[in-house]
Amino acid sequence: MTLNVRTAAVRAEGLSRRYGATRALDDVSLTLDRGITGLLGPNGAGKTTLLSILATVNEPDAGQVSVFGLDPRDAAERPEIRRRLGYLPQELGYHRHFTVAGFLDYVAILKEITDRRRRAEEVARVLAALGLERRARTRIRALSGGLRQRLGIAQALLGRPDLLILDEPTAGLDPEQRLRFRELLSGLPGDPVIVLSTHQADDIAAICPHVVVLLQGQVHFTGTPAELAATAAGRVWAACERDARAHLSWRGGDNRWRHIGDNPPAGAELVAPTVEDGYLLLSHAAGAR
Amino acid sequence: MTSSFPGPAGPAAGADGHAGEDLLAGYAAGTVDGVAVWSVEAHLTGCARCRSALSAHVDAERLAGNRSVLLVRAALPEGGRVRRLLCRCGVPDHLLRLLVATPSLRRSWLLSVAGVLAVVAGEAAAVTHGWLGTGGRMVPPGYLDPGILAPFLLVAPLLVLAGVAAAFLPMFDPAYRLAVAAPFSGVTLLLVRTVSALAAALVPVVAAAFVLPGPGWLPAALLLPSLALCAFALAAATVTDPRAAAVTAAALWALPVLLASAHVPLLMVQRNAQFVCAAVLCASAVVLFLRYDRFDIGWTR
Repeated sequence: MTLNVRTAAVRAEGLSRRYGATRALDDVSLTLDRGITGLLGPNGAGKTTLLSILATVNEPDAGQVSVFGLDPRDAAERPEIRRRLGYLPQELGYHRHFTVAGFLDYVAILKEITDRRRRAEEVARVLAALGLERRARTRIRALSGGLRQRLGIAQALLGRPDLLILDEPTAGLDPEQRLRFRELLSGLPGDPVIVLSTHQADDIAAICPHVVVLLQGQVHFTGTPAELAATAAGRVWAACERDARAHLSWRGGDNRWRHIGDNPPAGAELVAPTVEDGYLLLSHAAGAR
Repeated sequence: MTSSFPGPAGPAAGADGHAGEDLLAGYAAGTVDGVAVWSVEAHLTGCARCRSALSAHVDAERLAGNRSVLLVRAALPEGGRVRRLLCRCGVPDHLLRLLVATPSLRRSWLLSVAGVLAVVAGEAAAVTHGWLGTGGRMVPPGYLDPGILAPFLLVAPLLVLAGVAAAFLPMFDPAYRLAVAAPFSGVTLLLVRTVSALAAALVPVVAAAFVLPGPGWLPAALLLPSLALCAFALAAATVTDPRAAAVTAAALWALPVLLASAHVPLLMVQRNAQFVCAAVLCASAVVLFLRYDRFDIGWTR
């Protein structure tokens, strides 16, 4: 990732965070600039902890964070960061008796949009952006999981944030909704800083110019999706038979086995690596340590 | 048709007495003055041709935006009589909307409080009037045995504390993480919610104390312990887990009341205990003042 550390919008240096005996983050340093950054990693890698620290709802045991040059630990600067922040937590709770419009109105007030007219305009805007206009009167408890996720994304967009932190935003969305979500993120005005965590390598490949791979609480890769895919160059093979020596292998839709490893099986054909291949190789290497 | 538009010979009007294109364009854009607006609207009600001509000047995007805003406003609940009354009293609308997410202000919670109070106060009243047995004690009907007030004294401040705890404990707010990550002051949110919950719980408690047979100062004497308990819980929440703070506050009230109930049933509302409660309230207020920013950080760590 070719970011200028001094001018980066969001900067984290040496972040560490423990929960009891579990080390969630271990000396994590990264920079985020305008555009979309994808945070890729398995469950328990520390993605949620990292994002919650950037969103000012968590504090590191060690290390420093700077958001638009502001320090979240400073009580005077913290509200200014929050004014420019849109945050979708991984587990977003809802007041079940709220309607969709009522919930967004509530969050808009929390975002200091106190004028009724302006609040209604903002709520109408995000409802339209997420295709939820017809659900405005629906109680949240009556929504499907996918619709609730869209509502979560909608609340994060209230107030046109400069920094959008989305923890697993595509979880629960069907393929069409995921495409609409990608379109929505790509078309956001003002070129905000967007960081999203996901398990879906194809989401990363589709919309993120920058990728950070977090494994076991440490940053293992920063770069572009093409660079991540390139880490697996020459190590991905397709064959008719399974090869037990491969690090990973699975049967694809074409009924051929796809192998990731250092030793090509007999009769195997070298294939172009994907972002997922690069991520799986990194993941395997980290697990082998 | 005579011109109904302002100005000599209706300069903004068309030659045939209908609204001119410039006037309609200005009306649609909201740039004409009040008299002209009134004139145009009076004319439009009876003139289909001008209504049709007006539609060409309307900004479709702006119209769609206004429609969306109206739909959103219509989808928002207006609230009950209490909310309308508070609005008329000058309480900002957005603060009242924040209260919607306070469980201890919901009807079910308030009914539960009223139910508990009805049971303990009803029992005390029934025993005093001889409608119920006295558990072996020899108490003539009409004579006030302070012991019969013990359950009420135990429960009433705890109900107030429970209401306040439900207003600030993260476990009762499913959207707590959003509230913490939002710029709205955590202290303001806490104050709005806890003061409302406190008032909502104190009203039935004091009302029950009034109807109970007992000393006339009982309603007033319950205020200080109730306030002290809530303030202590909030102050303790700035230094420890908020649930532990609320439970500790409840225990610090319940234990002395239970221990004293056998010998001095009204101990906790007598002068010395009132002084202790006042001291706890003051000390808690100082802690809250010094550590109030803890509520802006939140308890999501």
